[in-house]
Amino acid sequence: MDHRPQQWGRPRDDVYGAYDASYMQNNGPNQHTQQPIVTGTSVVAIKFKDGVVIAADNLASYGSLARFTNVKRLRTFAGTSVVGFGGDVSDMQYLDRHLNELAIDEAYTSEAGHTLNGRNLHKYLSKLLYHRRSKFDPLWNHLLVAGLDEDDKPFLAAADLLGTTFTSPSLATGFGSVLAQPIMRRYAPDEESAAKLTKEEAVDIIKECMKVLFYRDARSMDEYSIAVVTKEGVELKENEKLEKQSWAFADRIKGYGTQTV
Amino acid sequence: MFRNNYDNDSVTFSPQGRIFQVEYAAEAVKQGSVVVGLTSKTHAVLVAIKRNAEELSSYQKKLFEVDEHVGLAIAGLTSDARVLSNFMKQQCLSQRLTYDRPMPIETLVSMIGDKAQLNTQHYGKRPYGVGLLIAGVDETGPHLFEFQPSGMTQEMVACAIGARSQMARTYLEKNADNFNDCGREELIRHGLRALKETLVQDRELTVDNTSVGVVGFKETGKKALEFFKVHDGAEVKEWINSVEEDADAGGETAAEEGGAAAEGMQVDE
Amino acid sequence: MTSIGTGYDLSNSTFSPDGRNFQVEYAVKAVENGGTSVGIRAKDGVVLAVEKVVTSKLLKPGANKRIATIDRNLGVVYSGMIPDGRHFVDRARDEARSWRDTFKTGIPTSDLASRMGGYLQAYTLYQSVRPFGITAIIGGFDSELEAPVDGEVGSGPSVGAGGKGTGTHGGPGLYMIEPSGMYWGYYGAATGKGRQAAKAELEKLDLAAGTLSLHDAVKEAARIIYFAQQDNKDKEFELEMTWISGVNGPTKGRHEHVPKELMEEAERLAKKSLDDDDEDEEKSEEKSDDKMEE
Repeated sequence: MDHRPQQWGRPRDDVYGAYDASYMQNNGPNQHTQQPIVTGTSVVAIKFKDGVVIAADNLASYGSLARFTNVKRLRTFAGTSVVGFGGDVSDMQYLDRHLNELAIDEAYTSEAGHTLNGRNLHKYLSKLLYHRRSKFDPLWNHLLVAGLDEDDKPFLAAADLLGTTFTSPSLATGFGSVLAQPIMRRYAPDEESAAKLTKEEAVDIIKECMKVLFYRDARSMDEYSIAVVTKEGVELKENEKLEKQSWAFADRIKGYGTQTV
Repeated sequence: MFRNNYDNDSVTFSPQGRIFQVEYAAEAVKQGSVVVGLTSKTHAVLVAIKRNAEELSSYQKKLFEVDEHVGLAIAGLTSDARVLSNFMKQQCLSQRLTYDRPMPIETLVSMIGDKAQLNTQHYGKRPYGVGLLIAGVDETGPHLFEFQPSGMTQEMVACAIGARSQMARTYLEKNADNFNDCGREELIRHGLRALKETLVQDRELTVDNTSVGVVGFKETGKKALEFFKVHDGAEVKEWINSVEEDADAGGETAAEEGGAAAEGMQVDE
Repeated sequence: MTSIGTGYDLSNSTFSPDGRNFQVEYAVKAVENGGTSVGIRAKDGVVLAVEKVVTSKLLKPGANKRIATIDRNLGVVYSGMIPDGRHFVDRARDEARSWRDTFKTGIPTSDLASRMGGYLQAYTLYQSVRPFGITAIIGGFDSELEAPVDGEVGSGPSVGAGGKGTGTHGGPGLYMIEPSGMYWGYYGAATGKGRQAAKAELEKLDLAAGTLSLHDAVKEAARIIYFAQQDNKDKEFELEMTWISGVNGPTKGRHEHVPKELMEEAERLAKKSLDDDDEDEEKSEEKSDDKMEE
C-alpha cells in the first residue's frame, strides 16, 4: 500500500493502472477564450436627421438553446450614448461594468460640462477590444455605438472583437449584417439620405429590420429593446414586442426539417 | 543654520500647522522671472520676461506648448518645470489616443496638482520648486490655471507669478473687469502692460526678452481653434511697440505705474 | 505639558512621555485655519457646505469647486490644506472603485468612512510621512432600493426561489474624519475656522429627532456658514453647497450641487437672518474652549 500523501484518494495503480496525468501537462500553447458561450445576436442601427435609432432583441442564447429571454443588450452611457452589444453576454456585462466606472469618473468633472461623447466612447471601446485581442484574450463582442459627435451631429460606429472599426449611416452586427443591412441601405444609401430621414421613418425602418431578423434568424426573438439617441438625450424602451407579424411566406419554404408536403 | 527645527523636511508640521519646506519652495518661484496670464471670452494669453545668464548667452525659454490647445508658462526651477511639462504632454497625448479628444484643462491641471502634493507628504521627496501658469481652451471655453509647489491649483481670470509679480497683479486686479470682453490683440496688450509694471528702472520690453503665447477660438461661438503658439523675436515687435506708444501718450497710466511700483517694492526684494 | 523644545514634536509617529503624537496635533492646527465646512444629515438627505475664502480678486468666480463627488451617491468636503484634500478625494475615489470591482455595487457611506479613516490613520504611523492637514466630512445616501448589480442585464425570477426579501435599508449617512484617522458618524458636523459657532448652531437644530427636511437643511447649512463667517466679516467668501437625496427625492439619489434657484434663496435667507441677529447683538460673545478629542 502506498501511504504517501499524494496518493491519498487515488485509484490504486495495481488495480486501475497508473494514473494518466497527461491532461494536466500543458505542453501546447496557452489558450484563452476560444469561443463565446452565452450569446446575443444582431444589433441594428441607423442614423437620421437628429440622431440615431438602435435596436437589439432581448434574447441570450446558449448554443441553439434560447436560454435567457429577458436580457437587455442596449446599454446607455452617461445618458448621452447607447452601446448595443452582440456576441458574448458575460463579456458584455464586463464591458458594461467598465463603462459604468468610466461614467462615474467622467461625472467627477461633469459640473464643468465635460462628457465623453459617442465618438470618444467608440474610440475607447475599440482600443480596449484591440488591446484584448493583442493579448490573445479577446472580449467576444461586436458592438455598435450610437451617440453624437462634438458638433452634436449623429454618430454611429461599430467595433468588433479584433478591434476593427467601421462607420456608416446604417450598421448591423451578426446576422443583421446580411439580413438587415440591405433593407437599411435601401432607405439610407449614403449620409445625405440618412440626414433626410425623420425619427419616425428611422424607427419604422429599424422595426422592419427586427421583424425580418426574427423571421429568418433562429437565434432571435420577438421581444426587443429600441433606443433613440438625440441631443435631448436617450429614449430607451426595453420591452417592445414585434407587431403585425405575418408568417404567410413560411408556406412557400420547402426542403427543411420534417416538412413532407 | 536652520531658521527653526521644523523646516528640515516636508513631512514636519510646525506647531502652527505650517510646512516650511513647502513655503520655501514657493520662494523659489519668486526667484524666476515674471510671467503673466490672462483670459477673455475667446482667448487665453501668456506673456513672459526671458532672462539670459550673460550678454552672449541665449535667453531661457519661459513658454512651452503642451498640446495643440494648452500651453504653460514657468517661474522657478526650469528643470522641475520640464518634468511637469513632459508629464502633461504625455497625458494629453494619451487622452487623444484613447478617447480621440483634447484633454480637458481642469483635468490636466489637477493631475499635476496631485503629483505635486505627494512630494509634500513623503520623506525623501521635495516639493517642486516651480510655479506654473497653464493656459488652454476646451469645450467649456478658455481657461487659466495657477499651479504652486504645494500642489495648490486655482482657476484664475488673470494671474502673475515670479519676481516682482505683485506689481503685475496690481495692474491685473485694476483691469480685471475689462478682460472678459477683450479682443485677442487687446488682451495681449493688457498682458504686456502688466509685464511692464514689473520692470526695474531702465529695463524695458524688447524683442529678445519678451515671449507671448496665445490660444483661443478663431471666432466667438465657433469651435475652430487658434492653436497655442509661442511668439518670440520679431513676431512680438508690433505688440511691444503698441504698448510703448500708449505709455508715452497716457500721462494717467504713468501715474498709476508709479503708485503700483512703490507699493510693489516692499513686497519683492 | 508643552510640546515645543522637548524634541518629541519633531517627527511623526513619535509618542511624547504623556502619550501624545504632536505632529498629529499640529496637523489639526492646519485644519483650524481653513474655511469652515459643514455637513447636515437631514431626514431625507444630506447637505454639505463650505465657506470658500476669496484669497484674490483674480480668482475666477464660481470655479474652483471644493466639494467633490466620490461615487454617484457620495460627496466629500474638507477644511485645511486643499492639496491634501485632493489627495484624500483621489484615494476615496479609488476605494469606491475597488469596492465596485469586488462587490459589483456602490460602497456604503459607513464603509467609505471606515476605509478613509484607516488610510488617514496610516499616515500617523511612520516617520517617513506626515499626517493629512485636513478634516473631511463624508456625506452619502445609500440607496433604499434593492441594489442592482453592476452590469446586470436581466432580472432574476419574480416569484419562487430567488424571490426578494422585504425590510428597509439604506438612508442618509454623515461622517467626519480627523487627521488622526478618527471618525464618528454625525447628525451635524462642522470643521475649519468657524467650527465653534457652527457647532453651536447645529446643536440648536435638534437633528437627532430626524424631523428636519432636506430643503430646510440646505437653508440651515447656508445660514450656519454665513453665521460662522461673521467674525471675519472683512474677508470675502463664496458659498458652495451640495446635496444628496434618496432616489425619490430631488437629486434622485445622486450627489449634486444645489441648483441655482435654491442656492440663491438659501443665501438670501442666510443674509436676512444675520441682519436680524445684528439687531440683538449681545449673545455671540462667549466662546467655549476648543476641546480636542484625543
